[in-house]
Amino acid sequence: MRARNTELAFLALAALVAAAAYVAVYAGRYREISHWSLIYAGIYVVIFALLHLVVRLRLPEADPYLLPTAALLAALGLAEIYRIDPALALLQGRWLVVGAAIFALTVFILRDHMRLDRYRYTIGLIGLLLLLLTIVAGTVINGARLWIHVGSFSFQPSEFAKICIVVFLAGYLNDKKEILSMPTSRFLGMSVPQAKDFGPLLAVWALSLLLLIFMRDFGMSLLLLAIFIALIYMATSRVVYALAGLVLFAVGAALAYQFVGHVQERFAIWIDPWHYAATTGYQLLQSLFTMADGGVIGQGLGRGYLLFPNGTPVVPDMPTDFIFSAIANELGLVGAIGLILLYLVFVWRGFHIAIYASDGFSKLLAAGLAAAFGLQTFIIIGGVTRLIPLTGITLPFVSYGGSSLLANLMLVALLLMVSHRANVIRAGTAEERFRLAEA
Amino acid sequence: MNRAISRTFLVIGLLLCALIANVVYIQVIDASNLKSNPQNRAQILQQERIKRGNITAYDGTVIAGTRREGSYWVRTYPLGDFATHVVGYDSLRYGRAGIEKSMNDVLSGQSTDLGVQSWIDRVLGRRPRGGTVRLTLVPEVQRAAQQALSGQRGAVVAIDPATGAILASASAPTYSAATLSKDWPRLSKETSAPLLNRAMQALYPPGSSFKVVTAGAGLRDGVVTPQTRYVDTGVYRVYGGKVVNYGGEVFGPNTLTQALTFSINTTFGKLGNQLRHSRLIGGAEAFGFWKRPPVELPAGEVRVSGRYGDGSLLPPSAPMDPLAVAWAAVGQEKVLATPLQMALVAAGVANGGRVMKPYMVDSVISPQGKTTAVTKPGTWTVALDADTAAELNAMMQEVVKVGTGTAAALAGISVAGKTGTAERAGANQAWFIAFAPADAPRVAVAVTIEDTYGTGGEVAAPLAASVMRAALAQGRLP
Repeated sequence: MRARNTELAFLALAALVAAAAYVAVYAGRYREISHWSLIYAGIYVVIFALLHLVVRLRLPEADPYLLPTAALLAALGLAEIYRIDPALALLQGRWLVVGAAIFALTVFILRDHMRLDRYRYTIGLIGLLLLLLTIVAGTVINGARLWIHVGSFSFQPSEFAKICIVVFLAGYLNDKKEILSMPTSRFLGMSVPQAKDFGPLLAVWALSLLLLIFMRDFGMSLLLLAIFIALIYMATSRVVYALAGLVLFAVGAALAYQFVGHVQERFAIWIDPWHYAATTGYQLLQSLFTMADGGVIGQGLGRGYLLFPNGTPVVPDMPTDFIFSAIANELGLVGAIGLILLYLVFVWRGFHIAIYASDGFSKLLAAGLAAAFGLQTFIIIGGVTRLIPLTGITLPFVSYGGSSLLANLMLVALLLMVSHRANVIRAGTAEERFRLAEA
Repeated sequence: MNRAISRTFLVIGLLLCALIANVVYIQVIDASNLKSNPQNRAQILQQERIKRGNITAYDGTVIAGTRREGSYWVRTYPLGDFATHVVGYDSLRYGRAGIEKSMNDVLSGQSTDLGVQSWIDRVLGRRPRGGTVRLTLVPEVQRAAQQALSGQRGAVVAIDPATGAILASASAPTYSAATLSKDWPRLSKETSAPLLNRAMQALYPPGSSFKVVTAGAGLRDGVVTPQTRYVDTGVYRVYGGKVVNYGGEVFGPNTLTQALTFSINTTFGKLGNQLRHSRLIGGAEAFGFWKRPPVELPAGEVRVSGRYGDGSLLPPSAPMDPLAVAWAAVGQEKVLATPLQMALVAAGVANGGRVMKPYMVDSVISPQGKTTAVTKPGTWTVALDADTAAELNAMMQEVVKVGTGTAAALAGISVAGKTGTAERAGANQAWFIAFAPADAPRVAVAVTIEDTYGTGGEVAAPLAASVMRAALAQGRLP
């Protein structure tokens, strides 16, 4: 239970930061400090207190740092979304409630992630179907087919598909890792796996290319490919797979550049946004301007110039893809680095869990999820800061978006399960271990 | 498997560190570039929401104020086209110029000169309020200067010789800052260059008005006295060329005082070669040539006087043959000066040889009405010792009493001055520099008119008189 007390202490800290953030944002908007600003903080505190209770009840031995890190990220995101558009923050607040329910359901119903291994093909299929569904029924927003609309309700299946695919790959690769890592032929003095063992790699590569062509979801296809390369490397410890993956990535990128106009455009903007300053490069340049305006210590939460006089954000899509630019403006370099370090902490805990997990599936699952989380962060922040070409994808826990929030809370639940199981097996009592086996 | 997992973590950790490095680049290293980029509309709009501080004349009259328009503040100009080139403009589209540019930190409320309250406002995130910039310009003198120029191309600068405070700075033709964005396409193409601040930005050959500098150098170094005798035959032949007088006049025997009084070129040509290159140029440097006058205007709006070749300033040591030295001594050849610099020459003689730092910002007033910064006068350069200055002062009084500058005389007040008529592109550049009262100077002026057929004594001297009259009619000057 010591772990849970640590978690509670850190959550209290996150709640304090959240309260301060809401007060600052509220004061910045209405030039006053009122109890309303604390009500938002209150709702947020209640949600994470409940999540803490769920973990305390079901996963008492789980890692104590993941949930507070996620809570802090969500608090910053919610405060910044509120600052840009209070109506959107209300929606995001609702999504947080739904996400908390999903988290609780995942923990209570699934109870142990090992059960997922049994259904890995089903889950992989679900992931594929989710993507197919988007291709067939999705609507195009910002040149990418990412969203499914059902009535007034819309969701982004690729966020869930990502988790399904990690689960499937972790199970599949854990099964096949011995065969895959068996050196059977030699090439250029290196021992190389048999050609047929590259099959799955080619399949995922083809899938991400299809994603790119039919959904124009450059970000997600990049992410899937990167996750796959990371997982196959971790499963086999063979650098040759990573290298082969990178080669395939390069070929895929070249093909995409040749045949998908959208990709060419993104690439051209990345190389020289100034040339497209008035048109397609506008958004990226506004993002850079907004960050530069923040300087080292930032304009202060709620005090940056993020909205034009008519209320539209200075960077289009600010609450979703460009939330990082807004935070970098108001919290400055200090806040921007702090935010990136929070992601680093989250990724570190994820990999830490993987290393201490007792079986291959758990290891690959935790490492795969942590890698997915870190790579997604890199892809979007790298995009809005012009380190890499911009591809629209959400910043985990911080961007506005229900699907992303739900999926990421599920991701946390899974990581906590892996962690709990590992810690029980390592240090738990016989009774606890028995209970685990029961489940 | 654990080793591969650790390595993967390492790779992802490095990627996140690359993000940090990139953010440092954007927010620190490249930040000022991005902020000043003309595409950065938000940065400019942000400025427009700040109530910009006023720019006032010395007596507090508002030259540039503000008016509310929705959630924005718009500049107003209650005095109309008053000292437009000094005040400059603050435009979304065309940037800033003049005091609006150089004092932007104060006017937009970002300066540390504005006191504790502004600092508190900033910490609390309240929208900053601009501070007021109080100029040294005196409305009556400025108006007289503008009136003097009306319908002509030229400039007037009036300075308080004892402090260096600029009482008036006028440039014609002018423009209207209020309608700048509408007029810009026309203004920027106009051949008369109305956007140019001729008083400080234009370089003209100073002609005979430069003889004050030459005479000062000669007297200072003891090469000559006011009584030194010369003989004028109408031509001074030197180094295969010649120096002649204006209008082909012949004066015969003359003293240095008479040579200044009647502007005899041959005598000053000879004096130039008595001084030689180094002492002539050194005398000019002592008056501030080859230095940027420290007026509170943006760097590009105050030009350096000196010798120019192909549009750029030649170093003081750039070689000159004796013919060049002779013509430079009479303010021709490659010598170019701004009206401000020539006003400083007059002011230097008036102030016993000590040229005060020219300034036009008297003080900065916080949004709460407190004066938070005041300009303290200081010496810019020592051109002459007091005795030499007194001799030169007496010589310059002769110019107005009996010489080429009689049109600048004021009733009951002794005036010291010097005319100049430089030839420039087939027409005359008429000059008059002066100060008054000669025994206790309170104002020094330089007037120049472009592209005229009259001489400095005919065209510029009467204008100088009217500006000095307006200045002397004022009680207290900055």
